[in-house]
Amino acid sequence: MSLATTVRSASDLGLVTLVGIAMVVITVVLAVLSPVLSPYDPIASNADAALMGSSWAHWLGTDAYGRDVLSRTLYGGRFALVVSVLATTICVALGALIGALAAFYEGWIDGAITRVLDAVLAVPAVLWLLLIVSVFGSGTWVIVVAIAAVYTPAVARVTRGAARPVMRSAYVVAAQSRGEMSLPIIVREVFPNILDTILVEYAMRACWVILLVSTLSFLGFGVNPPNPDWGLMIQENRTALVVAPMGTLSPIIALAVLVVGLNLAADGLGKYLGVDRAMRGVA
Amino acid sequence: MSQPGASLIDSRFGEQVAVVQDLTISYRAGDRNVVVAQDVSFTLNEGETVGLVGESGSGKSTVARTLLGHLRPGSKIDNGTVTVLGRDMFTLGERELRDMRGRQVAIVPQNAGQSLTPSMRVGGQIQESLKLHGLRHDPARIAEFADLVRLPTPEEIIQRYPHELSGGQQQRIAIAMAIATDPQVMVLDEPTTALDVITQGAVLALIQELRERLNMSILIVSHDLGVVSAIADNVIVLNKGVATERGAARDVLTAPRAAYTKRLLAAAPRLHPAPGEPEPEPIPFDDHAPTLLRCVGVDIRYPRAISLAVRNFQIDIREGETVAIVGESGSGKSTVAHAIAGLLGVEHGEAVITAADHRSQDLRQPVRKRPPVVRRSVQMIFQNADLALNPRRSIGDSVARPLRLFKRTRSRVETKQRVGTLLTEVGLTEQFARRVPGQLSGGQRQRIGIARALAAEPRLLIADEITTALDVSVQADVLRLLDELQERHGLSCLFISHDLAVVKSVAHRIVVMKEGYVVESGPAAAILDDPRHPYTRALLDSVVEPGVERLPSVDIEQRVRRVDASAAMVDVASGHLVRADVGADL
Repeated sequence: MSLATTVRSASDLGLVTLVGIAMVVITVVLAVLSPVLSPYDPIASNADAALMGSSWAHWLGTDAYGRDVLSRTLYGGRFALVVSVLATTICVALGALIGALAAFYEGWIDGAITRVLDAVLAVPAVLWLLLIVSVFGSGTWVIVVAIAAVYTPAVARVTRGAARPVMRSAYVVAAQSRGEMSLPIIVREVFPNILDTILVEYAMRACWVILLVSTLSFLGFGVNPPNPDWGLMIQENRTALVVAPMGTLSPIIALAVLVVGLNLAADGLGKYLGVDRAMRGVA
Repeated sequence: MSQPGASLIDSRFGEQVAVVQDLTISYRAGDRNVVVAQDVSFTLNEGETVGLVGESGSGKSTVARTLLGHLRPGSKIDNGTVTVLGRDMFTLGERELRDMRGRQVAIVPQNAGQSLTPSMRVGGQIQESLKLHGLRHDPARIAEFADLVRLPTPEEIIQRYPHELSGGQQQRIAIAMAIATDPQVMVLDEPTTALDVITQGAVLALIQELRERLNMSILIVSHDLGVVSAIADNVIVLNKGVATERGAARDVLTAPRAAYTKRLLAAAPRLHPAPGEPEPEPIPFDDHAPTLLRCVGVDIRYPRAISLAVRNFQIDIREGETVAIVGESGSGKSTVAHAIAGLLGVEHGEAVITAADHRSQDLRQPVRKRPPVVRRSVQMIFQNADLALNPRRSIGDSVARPLRLFKRTRSRVETKQRVGTLLTEVGLTEQFARRVPGQLSGGQRQRIGIARALAAEPRLLIADEITTALDVSVQADVLRLLDELQERHGLSCLFISHDLAVVKSVAHRIVVMKEGYVVESGPAAAILDDPRHPYTRALLDSVVEPGVERLPSVDIEQRVRRVDASAAMVDVASGHLVRADVGADL
């Protein structure tokens, strides 16, 4: 894609979407660059400087152990972001595959898959997570796999819904009449036509995952103290909300910026992709 | 434009009920201003029927809908006025407009199946329009309307839901809804496009009858010159939003003056030659060509269906021959096409093709179980080319797929060259390979559909209603192309269509189907000139052609009896087979 077309499609996205994308990008860049940007070691405690308000030394003050809130906030998104990217990628990939298969085979295979998905969906995600984490411990990979497993049914449902009308389209029938095998039909004919839905689902799902990770940490099942994490920070500092409000507010604001940004981006992306891209000649 | 529709004022009719004057409508698309209609003027008199004809995109529907004060969102009137019963439709307030709509001006939409509410009984829907305008709406009154549009058992039928009615019955309900409030103007937007020929004939006859009984003025919009010719007194030919010709239907559709109208008429397929033109020679065919496809006693059933969709089907297609299957929707013609293409299995009978390897191969298996050489030998072209091409794949990619799948080319470069050749062969250029279907016109897409079928190097092409979605002029080009390619590659073709006039221009032999049975088959000339089965006769009688003012009789649907399951096929002349049903002339 040339520079000109990139710029043109960026302006097509609309201001709100661009703001959303900017919010996400800023949060991610700050988290990635936190080792460089942080003024202090996020886990170095300092009993002399506990629960201080904003100052030139500590812009956002310190927490009960005298740790720098700014540094902890900068570092605090890393875990959630890593888990989010990994878990979302896994659950969207897996869910899309299962959903497409269900839509493709129809009949009893579809029925069986859908009923299992419904059963999993009937139990709240947080409950599943707590169950898995209590059994297998709270290692990063356990959390990634657990979240992926918990959200896969939802993605599969969405994909199945999007793929069903495509399955009946004449171009799929055309492929069948050529004698194409199942996999080429799914990959060549179906996926390109539900990719927009899957992309939007990815962005939405990432935002749910971040909230879920923070919830886990808040409940004490995610990141282990003293490591910095937004959910954990909110949990640790909320008792001192009146004394040093920034300790609680800054992770909340950071979390809100990321989640709202992801939402706006997903929404705008959905609108952008929803308009038939094929009509504009984007293959 | 000087006087609005001055030439149309006709002493046969009463006062002016609708006047459209210098109407210009446009909408904005990006930075461009697209003009949909330009300086269109016409008058609709009391008891008159005016036809608006033109191809898709001519603005005919847009103009017609202004009589109801309707504009598509984003469109605007740049100039001109629309006056109905002395009131300027585009200066009326919401309330006044609502009072006019339905009460004074009613519309019958194109596809009644889609415009009726699926969750409501049809009687209730007729009742709604009566109630809205404060008219009598008791069940007896509603049944009267159902009777008026000649629906059988009116009291019973108004209790049904739309999906329980046939397409023709749905269209009759839509007409009943429109006439219920006794409007003075009725707008018919392609009222018969979605219907079978026989149903179309009956609906047109009904419209004609109602017009006389209720003294309505009718504006009929259609792309079908035959339909307009059959019921309109005056016509206006629209080309890209401009009225290119106007006048009495008889004159315009038999002796057109504008070049555009001439072209449209020349492209319209005909069963009978236009006045003054010689009867075209029957398409010659060598009777001794070897048989390519043979089906004997074929039964086809949809998966898990209780009854058979097609029974005892029989066909022979010789090399290079085009055999057409005609029949109404539900007759099983598409089912046969799908079974031969392998999308359905054959339950009983014999189906054999001489495949591309010159060996006799079984066609009873669905496509998954057929060897590649058999799959390649039978290729299908689909009805709706817009839907048969993956919108997210480039044209080049779509055409290249069969080349790779059937190993017709060995390298990337060769594939690319072959795609270029194929595109040129169907009258496009190599540059099209980089485009996506959304950037192509309907006719171009159907050419791509043909190129994709050709890529497999088949022996038999199955053309399933391939011109139904196309304008007449494009249709003529596509049919000519198909004929040319068949000749060049020595291909046979199974041509599925509901349009006898189209079939006449392409087929060597014709098979007529009804309710899953073959009722008559034989050489095209024999079927068209000497039909022996009552159904074939009804089909031929129902065709309305440009310049013909005769309408099929209102009861034509009743004349078509059901097929007798035990009747045998009788050979009445060499190769002309007729099913021995009641009324068949053996």
